[in-house]
Amino acid sequence: MRELDTIINQYELLKNEGTQSVLATVVHVEGSSYRRAGARMLVDEFGNITGAISGGCLEGDALRKALHALHQEKNKLITYDTSDEDDAIIGAQLGCNGIIQVLFEPLDYQDTLNPCELLKKVIAQKDALAIVIQFNLDKNKVQHGTSLLIDEKSNIWGKKLKQELLKQILKQSQLVLKENRSAFAELISDKEASHIFIQNYQPPVKLVIVGAGNDAQILAQQADLLGWDVIVTDGRPTHANKERFTSFCQVIVSKPEKTLENIKIDQRSCFVLMSHNYNYDLAVLKLLLNEQKVPYIGILGPLKKYQRMQGDLKEDGFELKDEILKKIHAPVGLEVGAETPAEIGLSILSEIQSVLTGKSARPLKEKSTPIHEKIHSQFKEIKI
Amino acid sequence: MAVKKKIYLDYNATTPTDQRVVEAMLPYFTEKFGNASSDHVFGWDANEAVENSREQVARLINCKPTGITFTSGATEAANLAIFGFCKRNRSKGKHIITCKTEHKTILDTLKALENEGFEVTYLDVDLDGNIDLSELESAITSETILVCLMLANNETGLIHPMYEIEKIVHSKGVKLMSDITQAVGKIPVDLKALNLDIAIFSSHKIYGPKGVGTLYINKKNNIEIEPQVFGGGQEKGMRPGTLNVPGIVGFGKAAEIAFSEMEEESVRISKLRDKLEGLLMESCVCKVNSMKANRLPNTTNISFENIDCNQLLRKLNSLAVSRGSACTSNIIKPSHVLKAMGLSDEQALSSLRISLGTNTSLSDIEFAAEEIKKTANQLKRAEV
Repeated sequence: MRELDTIINQYELLKNEGTQSVLATVVHVEGSSYRRAGARMLVDEFGNITGAISGGCLEGDALRKALHALHQEKNKLITYDTSDEDDAIIGAQLGCNGIIQVLFEPLDYQDTLNPCELLKKVIAQKDALAIVIQFNLDKNKVQHGTSLLIDEKSNIWGKKLKQELLKQILKQSQLVLKENRSAFAELISDKEASHIFIQNYQPPVKLVIVGAGNDAQILAQQADLLGWDVIVTDGRPTHANKERFTSFCQVIVSKPEKTLENIKIDQRSCFVLMSHNYNYDLAVLKLLLNEQKVPYIGILGPLKKYQRMQGDLKEDGFELKDEILKKIHAPVGLEVGAETPAEIGLSILSEIQSVLTGKSARPLKEKSTPIHEKIHSQFKEIKI
Repeated sequence: MAVKKKIYLDYNATTPTDQRVVEAMLPYFTEKFGNASSDHVFGWDANEAVENSREQVARLINCKPTGITFTSGATEAANLAIFGFCKRNRSKGKHIITCKTEHKTILDTLKALENEGFEVTYLDVDLDGNIDLSELESAITSETILVCLMLANNETGLIHPMYEIEKIVHSKGVKLMSDITQAVGKIPVDLKALNLDIAIFSSHKIYGPKGVGTLYINKKNNIEIEPQVFGGGQEKGMRPGTLNVPGIVGFGKAAEIAFSEMEEESVRISKLRDKLEGLLMESCVCKVNSMKANRLPNTTNISFENIDCNQLLRKLNSLAVSRGSACTSNIIKPSHVLKAMGLSDEQALSSLRISLGTNTSLSDIEFAAEEIKKTANQLKRAEV
C-alpha cells in the first residue's frame, strides 16, 4: 500500500477516536535530501508517527515541532539545514547537504476541507492531480497550507482563493501536470511575497500481470511493496484465484480476448505478458496495440519469441506503428543478470519505473550532474 | 529643586533599550518563561522565540542563522573566539595580528593569549587611525593563524577597509576575525560579502538589552573553535548554559528594528554629527580626529586645545559624553586609541568622544555645542 494510503487510513482511525493529529509535509528542498518535496507524515498528539519526511534524521525534532504546532493551533513552517555539521538536533554529520522546508498543519476534524480530507479525495480520484500547498518562507507570515486540488481539466476542489491568485495557480498547475513534474513558485504582489508548492500527483501505477504462475505471485508481491496497484489475469481458475494472490490484488479469470473487459486502462496501466503461453500472450498483445494510453508493454521471453509475434501480427493484418513499438519492451526488463523469479521481478519493475519517470536506468555514478537538478527546485517568480 | 536637563550623547557606550524591544521581551519573563531546552510546550515556546531571534540577527548582518551563537555579550564572544580558535589551531601556528586601536576586549584577551605562548603583532596606525595594508601583508608569516581587526572604532568611528583586508588575509591562507560591535546598526554590515571568518557584536549598542551578544562563525570556511565553557550542550555545545531567552528575544527585536530603520536614521544622524562638528569648530579651538577618514555616521572624537577634558566633562554636567572608552573610565589614562594615532598624552587627555543616537535631536546638538563652547571658554579663561 502506498504511503499516502497508510497516512489517510491512520487519519481516519485517529479522527474516529478523537485523537488530535498534525500533518507534516516537505514543501521544498534545496540541495540533497533523502525524501523530496511531497513527502508526508502524520503525527498524533501522543507522538506516534505514520509516514516519513526523511531517512530518519529529522523525525525526532519534527515530532516536537508537530506537537508544538498542535498546541499553538496554527500552521508552522520549519527549516532544517542538514548542511550544518554541528547541528545537535540532527546529530552527527549526515553527509547530506540540504535545506528542507517542512510545513506542519494541525488537523481540524470539523473542517471538511482540511489537508487530510483533501488527500482523501486525491486517493479517491485515481487521476493525475496538482496538489497546491501555500506557504511562506517568512515565518512571521501566515502559512495557508494544503489548499487546492486541480485536475487536467482544471476542475478545482478545496479552499476559496482570490480570483487573480487562482488564475495564476491554475496556469502553473496545468504546466505541472503537462510536464509531469512538481514545481515551486514565489508569488509577488506589490505588498508581499508568498510561496507555493504544486505537487505533481500521479495515481499509483497499475501493473497488469498477464499470467498467474508462481513467478507472477512473486512479481505481484514485489509490486505491492512498491505501492503499485496489481491486477492479475489468467485463463486458469486454478492459477488466478484469491488463495494464490492475496487481498491487495485484483484477480481476473478470462479468455485472453476478453482481458481488457474488466480493466480500466489509463496512462498508468503497465502490462507484463508472462503467461508462458505464446498464444495467450499474443492474443492480449493484439488487444493492447489499440490502447494509446498504455505506456508500457513488457513481454517475457527471448527476442526470438517477440520476432515470431511480430511476424504473426503482420500476417494477421496488424500494423505495428512506431509509437506502439516504442512501448513494447521485449525481452522484458533491465540486464541485471536475473535468474530467479524475484530477480526477474526486480529487473521488470526497475525497467517500468525508469520508463514511467523518463529516466535513463543508467548507474547514478555515471551522472556528472546532481541527482536532482537544481533548476527544478528553484522558485519561479510570478507577479500578482 | 529643579533637576537640570541631561542630554545623552554617549550612544557608543550603550543605548537605551527601545520601547518596542522591551515590549517584545516582557512575555518571556512571566508568561513564556520556559527553559528553551525543555521538551514540552513551555520549552518549545521559548526555543521558538530564540530561533526567531537568531534569524532576525542573521538577517541584519546577512549571514546564515546557523552561524550565530548567542553569548552574554561581545566580550564573552571575543574571548570564546580568540581562545577557542587559537588553541584549536595551535598546531597550524602561534601568531596573531591585530592593531593598536582595537577595543580593550580584544587587546586584553590577546595579552592573556600571549601568556600562553602565542605571539601577537600589534600594527601601528597613522594620524587618522588607519593601518597600512602593506604592513599588514608583510606582517603575515607562515605561523600566522588569525588577523583580528575591528570594523569600526568605538572612539573615533573610523572604519577599516575590510574588503581589502579580507583579500590580503585570505590570499595568505589566514583567518580573519572582526569586532563589528560599533558598526552594526549604524552602517550596513554584510557578512556574506565581507567573507569574514569570525565576528562578534552585542545587543546593547543597537537599542537592545545588555547582557546578550553574538559570536558569528562562518561555517562555510570550516572555522574550528573550541568551547571555553562546559556543561549542558546549549548552542550546540559552543556556549552551554541556560539561554537568556528574554535577552535574546530583545536582541532579535532590536536587530529587526535596526534592519528596517537604520538606513534612514544614518542619514539623519550623519547630518546632525556634521552640524555639531561645524558648530564646535567655529566656536572652539579644536580638532576633529579622523575627520577625513571613512567613519561611522554618529561618532565624533574631538581634541580641544589646552583644556583638561576631565574638568570639561565634570563641568558639562548636563551632557553625557565620554573621554576615551567607557570600559576604562575608572582610571583616567589617555586613550590608547588616540595615543596610537600619534596624539600626545596631553592631547589625548584633552579629547572628548561624542556619539549620537536615535533620540538625538537638532536642539540637542545645538544645546550641546553651546554648552561645550561656553564651558571650554570658561576653562580656558580660568587657566589664563
